[in-house]
Amino acid sequence: MLDSDNAAFIQTGVSISLAACSGDRMPSMSRGLGCKLIDGGRQIAIFVKRSQSAELLENIRNSGRVANVFNLPSSNRTLQLKGDDAQIRPFDPADLPVIESHLPQFLEEVIPFGMPENMVRALLAYTVDDLVTVVYSPNAAFTQTPGPKAGDPLGTAA
Amino acid sequence: MSLRLETIRECLEGIIPGHIATCDRAGMPNLAYLSQVEFIDNEHVALSYQFFNRTRQNVLADSPVRLLLTSHLTAAQYRLTLHYLRTEAAGPLFERMRAKLAGIASHTGMSGIFQLLGADIYRVLSIEQVPGETVPPPPPPVNCLNALRRTVDRLATCSTLECLLEKAVDCLEKEFGIAHLMLLMHDEARGRLYTLASRGYPESGIGSEIPVGAGVIGICARERTPIRIGFANSEYAYGRTVRDGIAADGQGDALETAIPLPGLPDAASQMAVPISVAGRLLGVLYVESATDLHFGYDEEDALVTFAAQLGLAIVHHQQADDLPDEPAASEEAAPAVAGRPLTIRHFAATESVFIDDDYLIKGVAGAILWVLLSDFAERRRTSFTNKGLRVDPRIRLPGVSDNLEARLVLLQRRLDERDAGIRLTKTGRGRFSLAVDHPLQLLES
Repeated sequence: MLDSDNAAFIQTGVSISLAACSGDRMPSMSRGLGCKLIDGGRQIAIFVKRSQSAELLENIRNSGRVANVFNLPSSNRTLQLKGDDAQIRPFDPADLPVIESHLPQFLEEVIPFGMPENMVRALLAYTVDDLVTVVYSPNAAFTQTPGPKAGDPLGTAA
Repeated sequence: MSLRLETIRECLEGIIPGHIATCDRAGMPNLAYLSQVEFIDNEHVALSYQFFNRTRQNVLADSPVRLLLTSHLTAAQYRLTLHYLRTEAAGPLFERMRAKLAGIASHTGMSGIFQLLGADIYRVLSIEQVPGETVPPPPPPVNCLNALRRTVDRLATCSTLECLLEKAVDCLEKEFGIAHLMLLMHDEARGRLYTLASRGYPESGIGSEIPVGAGVIGICARERTPIRIGFANSEYAYGRTVRDGIAADGQGDALETAIPLPGLPDAASQMAVPISVAGRLLGVLYVESATDLHFGYDEEDALVTFAAQLGLAIVHHQQADDLPDEPAASEEAAPAVAGRPLTIRHFAATESVFIDDDYLIKGVAGAILWVLLSDFAERRRTSFTNKGLRVDPRIRLPGVSDNLEARLVLLQRRLDERDAGIRLTKTGRGRFSLAVDHPLQLLES
């Protein structure tokens, strides 16, 4: 599903967000603090803050369906992945380095746009006991970089 | 709704792009980035429709809509629940968003890719703040409400239109700290705006013109709506659009091009605000800056309110000048003067007036000057009234909404800038005098 180029891309200083819907189609979304590939990209782990994601996590528990967007501010390159088997797992402190290395990469991306560093640090601030991991198998990928190819599927859609 | 949208408008500027989440009929979520959210009022926003993408398909299939917006000032995040109402593909809101999007596109390297197809209007059902760490916002550069109050106080002290216009630009500069600005008046009959005052440019550009519909200023005038752009872009650079517009002009009514329009060559932030009273456009206020995102929603609110106040005051002063209430001054013939004569040349077809072969003015203001100088040359006449000009068959004023007093201010300023020894001075309500320091030689072409 995910080629090596896109697999590398989603682990750079991208902005990450994750969405899921309720039974009556009401969506909810949260920012992700980092992304980890499992089993060579067959599965993806996204780290979110439980305190910000009650509705999102409830929706994932009920449906397992997620939409996950990665955007690199400096290039506008944007990728959306989707999955229908998302699960919520406790955060494993062994994954902390993923989050810790994502922040400086993201800062490097947005500071040239004039974003104050303290504001960006506040936006992505967390406590370890508030973290939770969402794991899913991507079964569809779409380029969302603005332009004529926006919305095109990258691989076989589910 | 506990949180009022008007208090978090900085999140709508797109400095940190918002996210939009929707859901298809099968229950699959979709997530996308937003270029632009436009504040309409506390219950409504508009989103830019640029591509027929999955988001739009879901919205048209009755998906509930959620936005995640982030303040670049505080890092606070907000989730908004929206309900789609309708799409507008023309009109003031559409033009406001199209102009803003052109700036965003240019800033993000998306010129030519971002094209506004429609303004999707949504009702805001709820706003919730997402829990999380925030930082205190930096103090704003100007307290707009207080600047507005001081400005309104100062405008109220004026007893003439000339004073009013001068104070207006002075207040924008001193009270609002705006370094580059223009005040343009509307020539309804000709579909033009002419510069009557400016600040912050090497040349004042008084008398320069722009067609209604051209560039930021012209679109603001045509749509009667504020236009605000946060980033440098070529699409709305008014210099170019003015040049493009010249070719379409008829010969006898050509756009004023001898006087260059002032303006920053590298303006990043631009804002034009209409001055309207009772549905009639009187003019446009235009402000600009070389820095990105210099003007926000608060500045826009303040200038819109200022323009409303200024418009009422302009109408008041113009009406007062149409009703002279002082006894006519005794007609004092000017004493003869000696020295080198000034050659005044008049081209009737365009009403252009040249002083010693240097272009001064044309159109209605040119016609007025020619009449004043003709009367002066024939009868040494120095005292005139607005009422007299209005009924003078030699001046073809374009009807009731002629802005005569504004045209006299324009003429007075052009003469003062030229410093050729011809001056107009207001002597009372609806009255003014002409002073000429040199003998005149009038030539009709």
